[in-house]
Amino acid sequence: MKAIEGVALSKSFGGVVALRRASFAADGGEVHALVGENGAGKSTLIKLLSGLYPPDSGEIRVNDATVHFARPQDALVSGIGTVFQELTLLPFMTVAENLMLGREPRSGPFIDRRKLITAAHELFDDAGISGIEPLELVGNLPLAQQQIVEIVKAVSRKPRIIFMDEPTSALAEHSVDWLFGVIKRLRAEGACIVFTSHRWNEIKGIADRITVFRNGEWVATSQAAELSEGDAVERMTGQRLDVLFPKPAPVTDQTQRLTVEGVTAKKLPAISFGARAGEVLGIGGLAGQGQRELFLTLFGVNPHTAGTVRVDGAAAHLRTPQEAIRAGIALIPEDRKTEGLLLPLSVRQNLALAVLKRVSRNGFVRRAAEDALVGSMVTSLAIKTPNPGQRVGALSGGNQQKVLIGRWLLTDARVLLLYDITRGVDVGTKRDIYLLIRRLSEEGRTILLYSTDTEEIAHLCHRVLIMREGRIVSELQHDLTPEAIVAAAIRVPVAS
Amino acid sequence: MARLRLRYYAVQNVPLLLSLGLFVAMVILYIILFALKQSRLPGAFELLTTVNNTLSVGLSAIGQTFVVLTGGIDLSVGGIVDVTNSVAARYMGDSPGSIALVSLATLAVGAFAGLTNGLLVVYGRLQPIIVTLATLAIWEGIALLVLPQQGGSIPPALTAILAGTLPFLTWLPNSVIIAVLLVAGWQLLRSTPFLTGVYAIGNDERAARANGISVARAKLGAYTLAGTCAGAAGLYFAAANTSGDATSGTPFTLTSIAAVVLGGVSLFGGRGSAIGSLAGAFILTLLLNVLFFAGVNTQLQEFFQGLFLILAVVASTLVRRSLQRAR
Amino acid sequence: MRPLAIAAALASSVGAGTLLFSSRVSAADAPKLIAAASHPPPYKIALSNSYIGNTWRVEMVNEFKAACAMEPLKSVATCTEYSSGNDVSKQTAQIDDLISSKVDAIVVNAASPTGLNGVISQACSAGILIVSFDAVATNPCGIKVNTDQIEFGRKGAQFLVDALHGKGNIIEVTGVAGTGVDQDRNKGAEEVFAKYPDIKVIAKYSGKWASDEAQRATVQQLPSLGKIDGIWCQGGTDGVIRALLDAKRPFPIPVVGEAENAFRQYMIEYKDKGFKALSIGQPPFLGILSLYLASEVLQGKHAKTDVTIPFPSVTQDTVKEGLTTFKDLPGSYFVDFTDSGPNASVIVCKDAVLHGTPCPGTLAVRL
Repeated sequence: MKAIEGVALSKSFGGVVALRRASFAADGGEVHALVGENGAGKSTLIKLLSGLYPPDSGEIRVNDATVHFARPQDALVSGIGTVFQELTLLPFMTVAENLMLGREPRSGPFIDRRKLITAAHELFDDAGISGIEPLELVGNLPLAQQQIVEIVKAVSRKPRIIFMDEPTSALAEHSVDWLFGVIKRLRAEGACIVFTSHRWNEIKGIADRITVFRNGEWVATSQAAELSEGDAVERMTGQRLDVLFPKPAPVTDQTQRLTVEGVTAKKLPAISFGARAGEVLGIGGLAGQGQRELFLTLFGVNPHTAGTVRVDGAAAHLRTPQEAIRAGIALIPEDRKTEGLLLPLSVRQNLALAVLKRVSRNGFVRRAAEDALVGSMVTSLAIKTPNPGQRVGALSGGNQQKVLIGRWLLTDARVLLLYDITRGVDVGTKRDIYLLIRRLSEEGRTILLYSTDTEEIAHLCHRVLIMREGRIVSELQHDLTPEAIVAAAIRVPVAS
Repeated sequence: MARLRLRYYAVQNVPLLLSLGLFVAMVILYIILFALKQSRLPGAFELLTTVNNTLSVGLSAIGQTFVVLTGGIDLSVGGIVDVTNSVAARYMGDSPGSIALVSLATLAVGAFAGLTNGLLVVYGRLQPIIVTLATLAIWEGIALLVLPQQGGSIPPALTAILAGTLPFLTWLPNSVIIAVLLVAGWQLLRSTPFLTGVYAIGNDERAARANGISVARAKLGAYTLAGTCAGAAGLYFAAANTSGDATSGTPFTLTSIAAVVLGGVSLFGGRGSAIGSLAGAFILTLLLNVLFFAGVNTQLQEFFQGLFLILAVVASTLVRRSLQRAR
Repeated sequence: MRPLAIAAALASSVGAGTLLFSSRVSAADAPKLIAAASHPPPYKIALSNSYIGNTWRVEMVNEFKAACAMEPLKSVATCTEYSSGNDVSKQTAQIDDLISSKVDAIVVNAASPTGLNGVISQACSAGILIVSFDAVATNPCGIKVNTDQIEFGRKGAQFLVDALHGKGNIIEVTGVAGTGVDQDRNKGAEEVFAKYPDIKVIAKYSGKWASDEAQRATVQQLPSLGKIDGIWCQGGTDGVIRALLDAKRPFPIPVVGEAENAFRQYMIEYKDKGFKALSIGQPPFLGILSLYLASEVLQGKHAKTDVTIPFPSVTQDTVKEGLTTFKDLPGSYFVDFTDSGPNASVIVCKDAVLHGTPCPGTLAVRL
C-alpha cells in the first residue's frame, strides 16, 4: 500500500508548465527525498499533494484511495502535514496562536488562552525544543526559529504523511540534527516523510529513497544507498558536474580594503577585523550569533553607537543604506523578495535601479545606455530570461538572486556583503553564483560571506572568522574544511 | 505567568496602548480648556453629548476595523449609514413592536449590505477598495430612494433609550453603557476562532489558507459584521438626531477610517483592536471640542484635524520604533 | 405633537433642561409669544455654518461678522462664527459645544434640514434661541428666516413672459437636481409658463447653479436649438449668456437669472441695445437678518416667529454700478449681498462682504 501517490499530475501557471505528467509515490515508514534544481517541479508537486491548489490533470491517492483536495483543509483532514518552503506562519500572531491555529483549545465557544499557552509549551516539550517563548510574536523570531516553529506545527498534528520543502535551508547545524531526530522518530512510528533539500550530505544521511525531478518531469527513483552524488547531479542537471566549488582566486593585492574598529551596535559588543582587496572573508559560527546584525550594521540598516568603519582608509558614515552604498558597500540578502528585488518590475528595471544616475542625463534615463549595461550583465551572469523586459517575479529563485547580484555588480561597490545568498537556490545556479563570487574577488572587491551551508564557507573563502554572541572568537586561515569550521563554532570558549 | 503574559501583551499592543493614552490626554486637555473658558468643569451635559456624538462614528469605526483587519478597506460605510438611517427614519412607528422590528430590520439591511461587499470581494475576486467604492454609490442612491426628502421620524422612546440617560442615574448616559458593552462584546469576540481567522488572513492570506483557515468564511463574516455595525451606526445616528437624512451618513466613510488609523489598527491588516478604533472615534470628537474651546478659527479646523491625524500617526510610529530598538 | 414629545424625552434625559421645559413648550405652542431672554444684553450669539467652500458662504459669514460690529447690534450682541463643513456630526458637536458655552442664541445654516433636530432640541431645552436660515432646520422649536423659492420661479417667469408679450421660444436652465430649492423654483416658473400657451419651453437642462457648468451645458444644447427668444435661468446666468455670444446667437434677448456680478455687468453693457433682464438672488445677507432677528427676539422686541423676506432683485433699469454691481469684483461674485431700493431689507457696503469689516454708520434692518 502506498501512503501517498500522485499519478500523471500536470500543472501550469499562466502558460508556464510547472509539472508535466509527473508521477510520484511514497510509502509509510520511509523517508523519501525529492531532489532537483529550482523549477524542477518539487515544490509544485508538494503543493498539489497538500491541497494548496488542484492539479490541472492527474490523480492523487492517499492509501490507494483517490482523493480530491479542494483546499489545504481537505489535505490536513486526510492526515497530510506540510512544512512549506515559504513558511506559513502569521508574523503578527503569537507562537502559540500559530502552533494551534484552527485547533485552539476552547471553553464553550471561546478560545481558552491559558490552555492555548500550555498546549504550546507541551508541543515544544514533546518536540525537544526549548528557548522559544509561546507568547512572542512569530515575526520577532529569527528565521531559524521560525523554521522550527513551522516544523513543530506541522509535526504536532500527527500527520501520517508529511511533506517538508527545504526544511533545513534556514536551520543551523545542530537544529538540522534535531530535525533528523524528529524525522527518524516519525519514520519509526510508520509515517511517510517526503522532503526536499539542496544539500546532498543531508539527503544521503537520512533518505531511504531518492526521487529526481527535472524540468517538471519525473526522472528516476532509486534506493538512496545506490545513488552517488555525481549520478544525482547528472540526473538533476542532465550533465555531470565534477567540481562544484571553484577554487578561490589567489589574493595578490595586499591593500587593506575594509577596516572595522570597535563597532558597537545591537547584538554586537565592539567588533574589530579587517579584510584585504580581493579577499573572500567567511563569517562563520552557529546561527544567530550576530552575523546578521554585523551585515545589517555594515550596510547602515542597524545604527552603530561606537567604532569606525573604513573603506580604503576613508571613514565611512553608515547611518543609512544610501550612505553605505556611497561608501562602496553593498548587501545582498537572503530573502530576495522582501529585501531587494521588485518582483513586478522587469529584469532591466531591477538591474538598472542602483545605477539610474549613471545611465541618465538631465534626469531622463537614456535607454541605449541602459540597454547596453543591462544586456552585458544578463549575458555575463547567464541570467535565464527570455528578454530583459521579463518580470523578475516570473524568474526562478536562482535567477532572481543573480539579478540582485548583478545590480550590485553594476555599481562600484568595493565591499560586498553576501548574506546566505544561495539559500533555496538549485545546484546549477549555485555553481554560477560560486563562479561569480570568484570573479568578484578577482576584480579586487572584498567579499564578506555568510552562509548556512558550511561547505560553502569552507570552499569559497580565503579566511573565516567565527562569531559567538556578537564577538569574533576565532579565525581560521588554513585547512578550511566544514568539520574544522563547525568544530570552531561549537568549541566552548576558554574562560579568560 | 500572568505577569509575563501582561508584559508580552503590552509590548505587542503598543499602538493600542498609545491610542488609549492619546484618548486620556485629549480628555485631560479638553477638561483644562473647558475649565479655562467656562470657569467650571464639564458636567453631565458635556459627558452626554460627547459620548452621543461619538457613538455613531464609533460604531462605524468598529465595523471598519473588521474589514481593515482582513487587509481590506470598506468605503461603503457612509452609504450603508445613509440607507439604514433612512430606513429607520422612514419606517419606524411609535409602538414598541415597530421599534424593535424596524431596529432589527435596520441592522439586517446593514448586514445584507456588508454581506454583498463580502460576496463580491470573495467570489468576485475584486479588490475591496473597488467593490466598496461601487457599493458606496449604490447605497447612497438607494438611500435617496428610501427617503427622498429629509425627514421621517424616530420615536422618542428609542431616542431616550439610545441617546438618553438612565431614569435613576441621570448623570450616566446610556451611550456610555452602550460603549462599555461594545468593548466587552469585542473582547468576547476576540477569543473566538472566527476572529482569530480574521486576524490570520490579515497577517498572510496564503499562509492562513495553508493552515486550514477558511478565507471565504472569515472574510464574509468580517464584511457582514462591518455592515451590521454601519447599520447600527445609521440607527443610532437617526435616534440621536430624531430623524433621518439620506445624505448625512456620507462623511462616515472617511471618519471611520480616520478613527481606525488613530486607534492604531494597521491598514495592512492583521494587527489592531476595535477598542482602539472606538478610542480613535472619541479622539476625533474630543479634537473638535478641544479646537472649539481653544478658540481655533473654524475655517482652519479641517487643517488642524488633518495635521493632528498626521502627527498622531507619525508620533505613534516613532514611539513604536524606539521601543523596538530598545528591546 | 411628536417633536415636542421628543424634546420632552431629551429634556428629561438632560437633567439641566427640565427646568426650562415649561417656557419652551409655551413658545412652541403659541409662536406669537414674546420670548425674551432672562437677562439684559449683551447677548452671546453664535453663527453655526456648515459648508464654507463657495463665494456665497464666505460673503455670508463676512457680512455676519461685519453686522455684529455695527450699531445697533454692537452694543447688544457679542458674536462668534463657526463653520463645520457639510458634516452633520461635526455641526452637532459644534452646537453642543455652543450649548456648553451657554450662548443665548445660535444662528444656523444647517448641514441637513433634519440631521440637527436632536441637537436643536437640546439647545431649545437649554433655553437657547435657534434661528436657522438659507438651509433651514425643520425642528419647530427654532425659528427660520428665508426666502420663498416658489416665488423666485414665479417672479422671474412672469417678468420673462411680460418681456416677450406672452409669446416665444424659451429655454429653462435648472439647478442642482434633487434639492428642494431647485424643485420649488422650477415649480413656480412652470406654473406661470403653463398659463401662456404661446410660450414654448424648447429646452430644459441643468446648469447646476455654476457659471462654467451652465456654459458647458448650453454649448452642448445650442446646435440642436432653433430661435431662442428668452432665457429663464436658476443660476450660472453669465455662463449661459457667454455661450450665446460665443455661438453668435442674436443678443440681447430677455434673460432672467441669479445675482452673478458678470450677469449684471452684461445688463449695463447691453442696456442701450434694448436688453431686458431681471436678476434675482438668494441673498447672503440672510445671515444678517437672522442675527438681527435673534437679537430682537432676545430683547423682547420681536415675536418669536418665522420671517420670509422678499428677494432682492434688479432690472436693466435699476442696476447700478458701485451699488448692485461692481466692475472690480470677480464675475462669479454674488452681488446681492446688499439689498437696494426704498424697501430694502438691509444695505451693506462692499468692505463688509470682502473683509468682514463694519460699514460706516448704523445698520438699518427691515424684517
